[in-house]
Amino acid sequence: MTTFDFLLQGMLVAAQPMNLFYALIGVTLGTAVGVLPGIGPALTVALLLPVTYRLDPGGSLIMFAGIYYGGMYGGSTTSILLNTPGESASIVTALEGNKMARKGRGGPALATAAIGSFVAGLIATLGLAFIAPFVVKLALVFGPREYFALMVLAFVTVSSAFGDSTLRGLTSLFIGFALAIIGIDQLTGQARMSFGIPDLLDGIEVTTLAVAMFAIGESLYIAAQGDQGPDKIEAVKGSVWMTGQDWARSWKAWLRGTAIGFPIGAMPAGGAEIGTFLSYATEKRLSKHPEEFGHGAIEGVAGPEAANNASAAGTLVPLLTLGLPTTATAAIMLAGFQQYGLQPGPLLFATNPQLVWGLIASLLIANFMLLVLNLPLVGLWVKLLTIPKPWLYAGILLFATLGTIGANPSVFELGMLLAFGVLGYGMRIFGYPIAPVVVGLILGPLAEQQLRRALAISQGDVTVLFTSPVAAVLLAVAAAALIVPLILRARGRGQVLSQLAANED
Amino acid sequence: MSKGNTPSTQTRRPDRAALVIAVFLAGLAGLIFWDTSRLAKITSYSGIGPATIPFVIASVLLLLAAWTVFEALRGDFPTRERQEFGPVIWIVGGLAVQMLTLKPLGFSIATGLLFAATAAGFGKRKLWFTIPIGIVLCLGVWLVFAGLLQLSLPAGPLEHLFW
Amino acid sequence: MKQFFLASILAGALALPAVAADYTIIAPANPGGGWDQTARSIQSVMQAEGISGNVQVQNVPGAGGTIGLAQFASQSAGNANALIVGGYVMVGAILTNKSPVSLNDVTPIARLTGEYEAIVVPADSPLKSMGDLVEALKKDPGAVSWGGGSAGGTDHIAVGLIAKAAGVDPTKINYIAFSGGGEALAAILGSQVTAGISGYGEFESQIKAGTLRLLAMSSPERLPGIDAPTIKEGGLDVVVENWRMVAAAPGLTDEQKAAVSADIEKLAKSAGWQETLKTKGWTDTYLAGDAFKAQLAKDVSATEAVLKDIGLVQ
Repeated sequence: MTTFDFLLQGMLVAAQPMNLFYALIGVTLGTAVGVLPGIGPALTVALLLPVTYRLDPGGSLIMFAGIYYGGMYGGSTTSILLNTPGESASIVTALEGNKMARKGRGGPALATAAIGSFVAGLIATLGLAFIAPFVVKLALVFGPREYFALMVLAFVTVSSAFGDSTLRGLTSLFIGFALAIIGIDQLTGQARMSFGIPDLLDGIEVTTLAVAMFAIGESLYIAAQGDQGPDKIEAVKGSVWMTGQDWARSWKAWLRGTAIGFPIGAMPAGGAEIGTFLSYATEKRLSKHPEEFGHGAIEGVAGPEAANNASAAGTLVPLLTLGLPTTATAAIMLAGFQQYGLQPGPLLFATNPQLVWGLIASLLIANFMLLVLNLPLVGLWVKLLTIPKPWLYAGILLFATLGTIGANPSVFELGMLLAFGVLGYGMRIFGYPIAPVVVGLILGPLAEQQLRRALAISQGDVTVLFTSPVAAVLLAVAAAALIVPLILRARGRGQVLSQLAANED
Repeated sequence: MSKGNTPSTQTRRPDRAALVIAVFLAGLAGLIFWDTSRLAKITSYSGIGPATIPFVIASVLLLLAAWTVFEALRGDFPTRERQEFGPVIWIVGGLAVQMLTLKPLGFSIATGLLFAATAAGFGKRKLWFTIPIGIVLCLGVWLVFAGLLQLSLPAGPLEHLFW
Repeated sequence: MKQFFLASILAGALALPAVAADYTIIAPANPGGGWDQTARSIQSVMQAEGISGNVQVQNVPGAGGTIGLAQFASQSAGNANALIVGGYVMVGAILTNKSPVSLNDVTPIARLTGEYEAIVVPADSPLKSMGDLVEALKKDPGAVSWGGGSAGGTDHIAVGLIAKAAGVDPTKINYIAFSGGGEALAAILGSQVTAGISGYGEFESQIKAGTLRLLAMSSPERLPGIDAPTIKEGGLDVVVENWRMVAAAPGLTDEQKAAVSADIEKLAKSAGWQETLKTKGWTDTYLAGDAFKAQLAKDVSATEAVLKDIGLVQ
């Protein structure tokens, strides 16, 4: 049988009414748990995996795929509506998505996220099916020095989330770096900045920081405005659905996000967040409406959401072809696969084609069911914003702490949540951007470790960082992205500055 | 924060709060230097030990502190909106109470108190009304997420009545 | 509506006959890792075999399991329904993190599973045997980079023991710690490092596909189905086993201890557990009672010695 026949056969099995029903349940359960801030897809899948054990293998595989996609998607809803990213990969979504929701455009934001996730999931799953062996070869070229170059590129792109002051943007980023030092140093096992407190040895949980800075900091800031602020956010202004212009601005962003997210997800140390950062920076640079960025640009939701979902499918490339779980979610999926007698590895596609194609078909069906479940819900979700402020924010804090407690029920973790919430509030008062802190916490340790690994392998020879072709290209792109705007600004100083000044009013 | 970025006038006096931020940044840098200096003697084949990168970060933080002082003296910081601290105290207090009562009283009561405190911060001060609502709501949440979905949320006297 | 949906599905799924003691198992790690999987496997087998009616798994991640261990020792004292999963990695973590709570502060019940370390090189490596690798190590320890899991973990300890046995200064090894086996495997496959070391299961499918060459195993004797010599055969007296165990709370009465031990024995001997071991590819190394205690004491002292040699513990 050819690849295509296997896929077709898998689709026929997966499309039986009972299996569609299982997919719907899986997607519903996954979304319900994944929507909690602080509970990412890894914990969602781990918690719900036992539910699938009680079904026949086909049904349980398909329900499992549904839970996975539901858990992945759940985080973006709270990001957009409540400015509370559910996991690190949906932090960027909050930047533009929440601004849109505030302007009464929550409906289109949710819709572009859902459809973008679907498109990205569809393309990336097909990519998994047909070009996985090729992609994985590419991913293995990446060693520590190439990753270090990729991190440098990611740092440069972060500057697009700096806001209007370089000083305050850099300060936020370096506060994130400082927080990232906390914990055991990966390479030597030494404790840094932990002051003998065991709870600090593992460092600061990204989700704790993100939930605290975004959800709690924001609640405090809005409460502190007292009666000055608007009492209710206008939930729907214009259409709750995407307009023709929304579509026109979204579809390219979806495709670009997929193209960025899929290969980065396939890299063993890539991670979903990095794809979302790069996608956001790309959209900002290519957009015809750069002035809308920071005030609710739809491309800034469409691109990163697609990148996020594409990289989730990308993670399956090394998992299925090499047996390489590269994220916590993938590790749990591996455990799940083993339950179905699927032994991921280089021989999997040859020895067990039915199961692999069954899985891929299940993923496609689950992806579709996610859209079926979520598009009709958009109108309902948006109504959440019409809840009067006292109840809305009380509910936000209820679910924000629920997520943190559920992931790690420790008083210390709640204390950190409170402390970072107050920090986030203080930073908002003085106009410091929040996202760079979280980005610094994510990227800082990755960059440090990869740099040190690269130099340890070369025994201290710094030139290796530039001599690999991939690393050299990435560094050159990063340098260009940093320098070109500076030159342009210097050359057209008067004209650009006056334009900037005009924009600021 | 997006609303607070109107550039201030040049005639403003040095911004005291911004100077406090500079002191905080310098203090953070000092803390990093102090904590990681004991690791400076550990080196490996990479030539970069566990203290190298923290030193770099701390040095940049010092530079940023100096830059902040400079901008504070020039009055370059954005004007800030008036903050009411009553609501902030309500919410911070609610989070603190939740933290302290979570283990002894269980998820529902602790989080119910947080719920009521937050509502109070936003103007609903009728605690006799909001606390019971919060606790009942949280109990419902607990039953769904801990009871059915097996999330481990601390149980207290109230939860033990049901499970 | 959604709640109703959830409730009806799950109520059906979870309606189990209430039988014996309820257990709460602490998995002192994040979801997805070995300890978490062990805890969740115990959970499902105990419920399926009717050993316990209701088993909860709670993740308390952090610092090589020492945070979970400390919380367990202080909060569960005297509670016969509380269990914690742990393993060899914890022994090292307690030492490197200077944890105030050690395995003496809980009641180890039994070792359940174990895995031996495999030493591999990429298929196109010029190193053909363990002997070649040891020669290279003796010639220039810095030029041999080892890819493995976290610093001070089982993989690192095994490399330290190999260097020491080969007469090379253990502080001179060029060990590159990766977060998790997956990232290390990618670095080995991409020939970023000279050699790789990790649990056999991590490499199994690559070895079978011929993309990695297995040089040696850290087992005391050759293992069935694995075509490689032991490190011992090459003249280096190194045996390392990464085992996982289950422990009960401190301060239990003898009757309580016996009851928990009996439940765990029932678990280990059950058909469901054997089936789980097979699907997960874990080796059954069940060991309980005094024999386990003696083994544990031996491991702790040997680990402390090698961590001092590597320079991770002063």
